[in-house]
Amino acid sequence: MTQRVVVTGLGPVSSIGTGAADFAAALRAGRSGISRITGFDPTGFPHQHGGEVCGFDPAAWLQRISTAKWGRSSQFAATAGRLAAEDAKLDLERIDRSRAHAVIGTTSGESVVVEALTAQIVADGFGAMSPDLLAQLPAGRLAHAVSEELGLHGESVTLATACSASNYAIGYAYDLLATGEADVVLAGGADSVCRWAHAGFYRLGALTATACSPFDRDRSGILTGEGGAVLVLETLEHATSRGAYAYAEMLGYGVNCDATHPVAPDRATIAECMRIAHRNAGVDPSEVDYICAHGTGTPANDLVEAQAVIEVFGERPPPVSSIKSMIGHTMGAASGFGAIASVIAIEQGFLPPTVNWVHPDPQIPQIDPVPNQARPATVRVVQNNGFAFGGNNAIVMLGSPR
Amino acid sequence: MSLRITGRAAISSAGDHRGALAERLAAIGSDRHPGIPAGPVAAEPLPSGGMHAFPGLDIRQRLGRRGTSFYDRATGLAVVACGDALADAGLAVDDENRHRIGVVLATTLGSFKSTSDYTRDTLTNEKPYLVNPVLFPNTVMNCAAGQSAIRHRLKGVNATLAGGPLAFFNAVRYADNAIRRGYADIMLVGAVEEFSAHRAWATAIEAAGDGIGAGDGAAVFVLTGGDGGPAVRAVATGYGPGGSGAAALTGCVRRVLAAAGVSAAEVTLLATTELGRREGTESGRPPRPSVTVRTSSP
Repeated sequence: MTQRVVVTGLGPVSSIGTGAADFAAALRAGRSGISRITGFDPTGFPHQHGGEVCGFDPAAWLQRISTAKWGRSSQFAATAGRLAAEDAKLDLERIDRSRAHAVIGTTSGESVVVEALTAQIVADGFGAMSPDLLAQLPAGRLAHAVSEELGLHGESVTLATACSASNYAIGYAYDLLATGEADVVLAGGADSVCRWAHAGFYRLGALTATACSPFDRDRSGILTGEGGAVLVLETLEHATSRGAYAYAEMLGYGVNCDATHPVAPDRATIAECMRIAHRNAGVDPSEVDYICAHGTGTPANDLVEAQAVIEVFGERPPPVSSIKSMIGHTMGAASGFGAIASVIAIEQGFLPPTVNWVHPDPQIPQIDPVPNQARPATVRVVQNNGFAFGGNNAIVMLGSPR
Repeated sequence: MSLRITGRAAISSAGDHRGALAERLAAIGSDRHPGIPAGPVAAEPLPSGGMHAFPGLDIRQRLGRRGTSFYDRATGLAVVACGDALADAGLAVDDENRHRIGVVLATTLGSFKSTSDYTRDTLTNEKPYLVNPVLFPNTVMNCAAGQSAIRHRLKGVNATLAGGPLAFFNAVRYADNAIRRGYADIMLVGAVEEFSAHRAWATAIEAAGDGIGAGDGAAVFVLTGGDGGPAVRAVATGYGPGGSGAAALTGCVRRVLAAAGVSAAEVTLLATTELGRREGTESGRPPRPSVTVRTSSP
């Protein structure tokens, strides 16, 4: 007997707002979270902007874990988990903690810790690495931070499938719930702005200056971003039994692998991933009201993604917008923010816009990117796309609660 | 349904041929292997003491030059081990099955060396952005699994799990789920860690005198649904928050025995990954219980 799975809590920690209400208001207003980078010194880099969570104050939220002992990405994950649990009104004293799990996705794990250790190596050699920082280094700690903060005894799993990792995490959470292994799963992702990714994307020719403009004819790349995005997923039975409010139902997901190139996306495999997601979720393409795009703002990604959408949906696909235009590319958290935006679209009845959009792309005239202003809409089924280096494609399907 | 093991491969400091690990274990008995000088594996200075690196890894000889020149060591180990496991299973990958065969690999943080070296270049180069774009994918933790899929043309479920000593068990759980849910028919499930100066020093600094030097290697199993022959009967993992690791481990033992349908008395061997390290609560290493149970097959 497969359990139905619902979303009962949202925990965004983002450059445009912390908590579901602030994040939703910012999406509706089309606010930009882009500013000059302060997490590292960007002096000497041609581009110096990113989507940082300015003024992130984890101590204001965290109840159990000490910020001195956990890296920035773990703090994003734990704070997002705490916010999501509060949003779900989850009484942690009353749930079966052995059936409550944490599944967190990431691209670069504790990248800020790696960079601090590297600075020590450069300055004084390998022997100068701080044992306290080394203790914060393992990427698995992102999920452990959530488990520790909320006192969860279930599985504590970090999925490191790069920029689609949150969708992987949400998908695995869905399976744990659907198969009866779990009652509640905190699922999402976290990453931090860091020098090495900023430099790497610049050298790939994939970094833009100050404004990310997905699906625009003149788009020129991403802005690196950061944050934590965690959702409370729960069996419908468990949610009903405790009188929880269900924002949305999780319908299913699909994953596959390009197996062609480490960084260039593959149109045919991405289209196939959409079909797998639809099949697993029992959704016909005609039922999809909105696609929350991977939409990085690079010429290659957006073209390939749009062509895959057109291949699967035909010449009149549903609206396709990218919240990366507002928060930048938050890496392993990106599809988690996409999932939260998708749930908000369903619950509040509007499509988040693609901001910074000026020129239609003549190569993909079929794509409606919901330019610049949020649009009221009845949203019953959403497709949330996540693609990644390594060809790790993952797509999550969400629907209005029935 | 169990998970049948239809193929396996291991590369370790004991060697890379099929019986290497078993031969080493048989030869060493209950002694601790002193390790070997790892100078040839790492160009940088190393801490004192024996290491457990595999000195014979020759990616070019094993895989050829094409597409391999920018592999880091972790990626090379994983790609070779996946190929060896496929060969051991006698599994021919073709257009009929490649969409149904996946890869899930376990790691601690991918390649510490690749990420740290990339960061170093942004600090020491005349221009901070003059990094090598071709090496950028190596800084991402899913590099080894992605390159294994590319090399062996496996288009099914592809995932990377980060969880240190526990990650392989999480990977088996992930593969088990993928097969049971019908997302894949066959999964290559493995773990990889590379030897590097970064890890050698980190191990030496962190271990605080327990004396076991860093090692490297990759182990990959080919798993598929069904019964009969050697199989993974059950896997359980859990977390012990607030220093409750011992209780969490007890819970794992109970759950894994129940899931495997065996009594404690039927277990013939209990293997641990205990390193004798102090366990923290929420400090350095939260207790992360895992249990492997091996029983005689019915």
